[in-house]
Amino acid sequence: MKNIRYIISTIAILMHQVFLMAQVPVPADNQQNPIMLVGGVAHLGNGNVIQNAIIAFENGKLTIVADAATDQTDRSRYEVIDISGKHIYPGFILPNTQLGLQEVSSIRAMSDNSERGSINPNVRSIIAYNTDSEISPTLRFNGILLAEPTPTGGIISGTSSVVELDGWNWEDAAHTVDVAIHLNWPARMTRRFDFSTFTVKREPNKNFDKNVHELEKHFNDAVSYSKLAVRPVNIKMSAMSGLFDGSKVLILHTNDPKGIVESVKFAQNHGVKRITVVTGDAAWHAREFLRQNNIAVILPATHSMPSRADADYDFPFKLPYLLSNAGVMVALSHTGMLANSRNLPFYAGTAVAYGVDKEEALKMITSNTAKILGIDNRTGTLEAGKDATLFVSEGDAFDFGTNNLSHAFISGKAIVLDNKQQALFERYSKKYGHSK
Amino acid sequence: MKRNLFLFLTVVIFSGRLYAQETFPRNDVLDKRENAYALRNATIVVDPETTLTDATMLIRSGKIEKVGQNVSVPAGYTEIDLSGKFIYPGFIDIYTSYGLPKLEQSQERSPFGRGAEQIQSKTKGAYNANQAIKSEYNAAEEFSVDTKSAETWRKQGFGAVLTFRADGISRGSSAFVTLGEETDNKELLKEKAAAQYSFNRGTSRQNYPVSIMGFIALLRQTYMDAEWYGSQNPRPFKDQSLESWLQLQSLPQIFEANSWLNTLRADKVGDEFGKQYIIKGGGDEYQRIKEIKATNARMIIPVNYPDAYDVEDPFDAENVSLKDMKHWEMAPANLAALESSGIRFAVTTHGLKNKKDFIPNLRKAIKYGLSEKSALAALTTNPAGMVNMSNHVGSLRSGMIANFLITSENIFAEKAIIHENWIRGRRFRLKDLDTKDQSGAYELAVGDTKYNLSITGKPGSHKAEIKINDSTDVKVDIKLSGELITMSFEPEKEKGRIRLSGWDTDTPDGKTKGFAGEGQLADGAWVSWTATYISEAEQKEEKEEKEEKEEEEEDKKPEIGEVIYPFVAHGTSVLPKQETILIKNATVWTNENEGVLENTDVLLQNGKIAQIGKNLSSANARIIDGTGKHLTPGIIDEHSHIAASSINDVATNSGMVRIKDVINSEHINIYRALAGGVVAVQILHGSANPVGGQSAIIKLRWGSAPEELKIKGADEFIKFALGENVKRSRNNNSIRYPQTRMGVEQVYVDAFTNALEYKKAWDDYNRLSAKAKAGVIKPRRDLVHETMLEIVEGKRFVTCHSYVQSEINMLIHVAERFNFHINTFTHILEGYKVADKMKAHGAGGSTFSDWWNYKWEVRYAIPYNAAIMHNEGVVTVINSDSRETGRRLNQEAAKSIKYGGMSEEDALKMVTLNPAKLLHLDDQMGSIKTGKSADVVLWSDNPLSIYAKAEKTIIDGIVYFDLEKDAGINEEITKERARLIQKMKDAKKDGAKTKKGGSPEQIEFHCDDILGVARFVEFR
Repeated sequence: MKNIRYIISTIAILMHQVFLMAQVPVPADNQQNPIMLVGGVAHLGNGNVIQNAIIAFENGKLTIVADAATDQTDRSRYEVIDISGKHIYPGFILPNTQLGLQEVSSIRAMSDNSERGSINPNVRSIIAYNTDSEISPTLRFNGILLAEPTPTGGIISGTSSVVELDGWNWEDAAHTVDVAIHLNWPARMTRRFDFSTFTVKREPNKNFDKNVHELEKHFNDAVSYSKLAVRPVNIKMSAMSGLFDGSKVLILHTNDPKGIVESVKFAQNHGVKRITVVTGDAAWHAREFLRQNNIAVILPATHSMPSRADADYDFPFKLPYLLSNAGVMVALSHTGMLANSRNLPFYAGTAVAYGVDKEEALKMITSNTAKILGIDNRTGTLEAGKDATLFVSEGDAFDFGTNNLSHAFISGKAIVLDNKQQALFERYSKKYGHSK
Repeated sequence: MKRNLFLFLTVVIFSGRLYAQETFPRNDVLDKRENAYALRNATIVVDPETTLTDATMLIRSGKIEKVGQNVSVPAGYTEIDLSGKFIYPGFIDIYTSYGLPKLEQSQERSPFGRGAEQIQSKTKGAYNANQAIKSEYNAAEEFSVDTKSAETWRKQGFGAVLTFRADGISRGSSAFVTLGEETDNKELLKEKAAAQYSFNRGTSRQNYPVSIMGFIALLRQTYMDAEWYGSQNPRPFKDQSLESWLQLQSLPQIFEANSWLNTLRADKVGDEFGKQYIIKGGGDEYQRIKEIKATNARMIIPVNYPDAYDVEDPFDAENVSLKDMKHWEMAPANLAALESSGIRFAVTTHGLKNKKDFIPNLRKAIKYGLSEKSALAALTTNPAGMVNMSNHVGSLRSGMIANFLITSENIFAEKAIIHENWIRGRRFRLKDLDTKDQSGAYELAVGDTKYNLSITGKPGSHKAEIKINDSTDVKVDIKLSGELITMSFEPEKEKGRIRLSGWDTDTPDGKTKGFAGEGQLADGAWVSWTATYISEAEQKEEKEEKEEKEEEEEDKKPEIGEVIYPFVAHGTSVLPKQETILIKNATVWTNENEGVLENTDVLLQNGKIAQIGKNLSSANARIIDGTGKHLTPGIIDEHSHIAASSINDVATNSGMVRIKDVINSEHINIYRALAGGVVAVQILHGSANPVGGQSAIIKLRWGSAPEELKIKGADEFIKFALGENVKRSRNNNSIRYPQTRMGVEQVYVDAFTNALEYKKAWDDYNRLSAKAKAGVIKPRRDLVHETMLEIVEGKRFVTCHSYVQSEINMLIHVAERFNFHINTFTHILEGYKVADKMKAHGAGGSTFSDWWNYKWEVRYAIPYNAAIMHNEGVVTVINSDSRETGRRLNQEAAKSIKYGGMSEEDALKMVTLNPAKLLHLDDQMGSIKTGKSADVVLWSDNPLSIYAKAEKTIIDGIVYFDLEKDAGINEEITKERARLIQKMKDAKKDGAKTKKGGSPEQIEFHCDDILGVARFVEFR
């Protein structure tokens, strides 16, 4: 066992040196040998915790998830890693992100997230996903191992996919291709900067009806198209058909309680099988509707400002609690500066500070997200048969002082956690003679 | 077309004849008249203090000749009997642009947009260097009578107005004119009546200034420039704007502020230059009445109360803020608040969408507590006095201009009618004066059919109906016009209308009373009709009851909520007080050598930390149990943009602008930061320029006025900036110097070199004897040079927005060349690359925890930056630059534990003691030490843990945030909102206008995106 630790750390050091020369760490090789993590506190992502766990996986799949005290497996064929006192989590999932589509937002040439036109269901994020984004390794460093690169803009922004945050190219990184179509529900209120008062004025949107009618036509056409025995070639129409057979989820974006109700009813009336809403504070007012219709929500960072001037100061902090307590399934996401999406674990931590049970909060960045994206058969929890996408942290992964990863695996591949940022830390600490 | 031309000519010729003037060519025989009138038996309101009953007023040639109770009427006067009527002085509006050409509207576009900047003024000619200084403008030169517009004012009782052009910060001079229809020569009473100013650059698109603090700086500089310019003869060059500016200084100075915040700001500018402005307010003065009173300014106040929002739908109602709801409720009480504080004010129609609302709105103000006397003064004597026209208008005394109104009753009574509005002795009839009272019961005979006709109501607004039987009445449409009457009614449903036209048949002796005429039946047959007066009309009992009830309601002063401080949700009507507080048994993070003390007590007394120890007791202290909790020094944010009304101006060197001029105490983000344990912030200027504006350091004393937020005696700081933002990297069309980091250095070298030359010029001048001084030209005071000089002389300290190592290195060199130190590099994301140089120079580093890659110059930003700088011995701070991280700075600091393995105590110091050091406040803040300011936070947990909440945030021994009370505050907000939503709904039901939409949002300022505006306009 000691041997194995030695081998692994040697590999780590070797890789470390490799990445120092490269832009991003070298993608990991496929899992060769069965690996067993012993003695950690396993947070399964389904609400359960195993205090002293055995987690084993081979060929990229979990084979054993059990209590170490009762498990009788012969450990000799495994690379055994003792992680006593550490914590194991399923890889965190970052939904609704521009990761890999946008690198430096202020530079037009570095943005591939928003196509022109307002109805773009046929536009697919997967083919623009850049596995060499320098942002990705910094997310992995904090436990985010899967993401949903998502097109933005227009009314129907495009189709998103789920990727693993390791791979030589997008084919390699693809976890599940074309999982969701994203739709920005027209806003009822427009916002305009007013110089005379230096405030943002909000007025009723004059184009609201027009935009809804446009959507109405598009969906009617798509429904008719999907029923044709022989379908003429139409890229936009065929891109929509997954919504009606349940193979794609329709993700609605709106931050207005009426928008939530309208857009969900709109989708239901057009026979869309799976629906989720990306929303914020507005979900509170629509919670009963969401619960009754069994609609999950993807919330922005808990580290956000309340959207209303009069709101409780801690409204975004406690929103995950308020909604989950009301029976609505919640997943957490990130909004704003892309590089900051690495703080997803801490968003869950804040949800805990404001009422959510720790294991429930874990679901909000693992299994709930997987269910929403329709990838829960493969990932989101630590259960035998699922992908071995998980990591080991020195302590509580939701808190700053203890989110400290020692190992991370994506489908069994032992990925490199350090990146450019750790290298620079090392380089300059050395230059100044600081002891690290 | 021809017809129109004919009409036009007729009007011209006609008015030419009527209003012939001595020097004008005549196109008729001479027709000169005295226009002498005697208005008799009226109640004459001479001025707000004096009312004469049964009095007479003589008028001749446009002037008041005599007013009194025993005035005999000489021969040659047209007598008008005004028994029962009232005469008032004509109203005066001193805030209008009447009779001036419409301004060409050019769309205000973002100064941070994609176009090339306009660096110079586009005003042609020898005028001021800044296009927003338009002192040369003289409204009298452009004034011309506008009959259509004059009528709208006359209908509301106005007889004279002050008119100015609303363009620019210095808007030149206004003219005082009457609202008649004679020649411009006659209506213009006084040119250059007042000088006009504003915080609005108007049509200027010059790139500086764009912010309120820039407007203030430009005004201050212009006062100085004018003084310098005016002291020289001959002038150093021609600047006709400054020339006019000098001339205008002796006039009344009127400043358009439009809000209480800007009123306080304008007044401060005035104080500096010995000017007491007359200030045009915003109708929100009641929100800070004490501070408004302290300005001593006379005010011009609009009565444009906001419409209610349509809040029928509870979801829609969520878009309306408590602030807007409360303002909707309280705005009508504003004038009463001004009156009871003893502030002198005039009222204006300015800001009203429809002038028809003016008198009703003023009556509403009276209902809300304004005295009629004050209301009248605000319409007459006050405005007249403000523009030095008291000898001509505003009251009814002999020799004054004959501007007056004839009204049916007390003008402020709900149903009072303005019959006539006389302007300079010319009569404008609005509603017939001698309308007859035709009310009564009549027998109406239409052919052979007889009806019981009843005419009710008051003269001028009669109503009529026909009684068919005891239970059925038929409404009659009735129109009385002089001697003529028109009526129509439908005696039986769907049987067609009977239409009657006729005339008054009253005899002068009063013996016969009634009407007669011809009419047409429903079938078209013509018929004669008569109506014979029988008796007085029966007033319906229920109607009376209803009216009585209405009257009662009208008399009752409406109930309104309380003013809260600040005037936004989470404000309170009673501010928290300083307390003696004993926190028992807490884990105390001292930030001193003692480190973290377990189970320790801390006593706060007189706003200071009085004692730290175990088992402390204090007789009258409020005890707070700190068991299981953590007490830390309050968090200080070295780099914040909350609580200011503007953040960026855009001159390359904006050293003259000051955030302290634009502190906004009404930002909800103050409360939200308090809830995150923040006690003080440095509000920095943005980063659009190598030399940004001067910063302000405030404590988050929620509820206090802007001036009270400032930390008194704190050192002065200024913002510098380097890199992408100052070279306008996001604007491909930018032409502003500098465009490269090379140019940035030159900007500094140039600015400091100039400042030293400036100093030399002044030193040379000051060394001269008084006599010698008289013989030379005094140097010009220059706010930019003065600021730069303060930096070189160590009186002002630099916080520099910086990213990459080359530019950091550069600025250190520039500073050392001019012998001063850069106090703080802020952002400093590549500080880790030059930490040794920073340390050697003595600069601190104030950085983000983990931001990177949002623009090119932060590609190499790493979350270990703070740890490396700290390890190298640089005083290191974690700042926010964001309202969001600004309320979780303890968490942002905690990230250095993860990234770089910093100790918890050192991490906490990065947001407490270290910022106190960089702001030179560590002698009074930043640690828990006896004698320091009682600025502490009690946390539910270890403050570096994500699970910790601030439970109490205490500043100067005053609990400004209390988690226990927060829930109660939220409940209060919900209740108050519910009350106001109900009230808005009731108002809508009662027919009040409502608007859709939501309350405006305060934008987020964020220096790194150049400006909140830019962020909004360009990137969302």
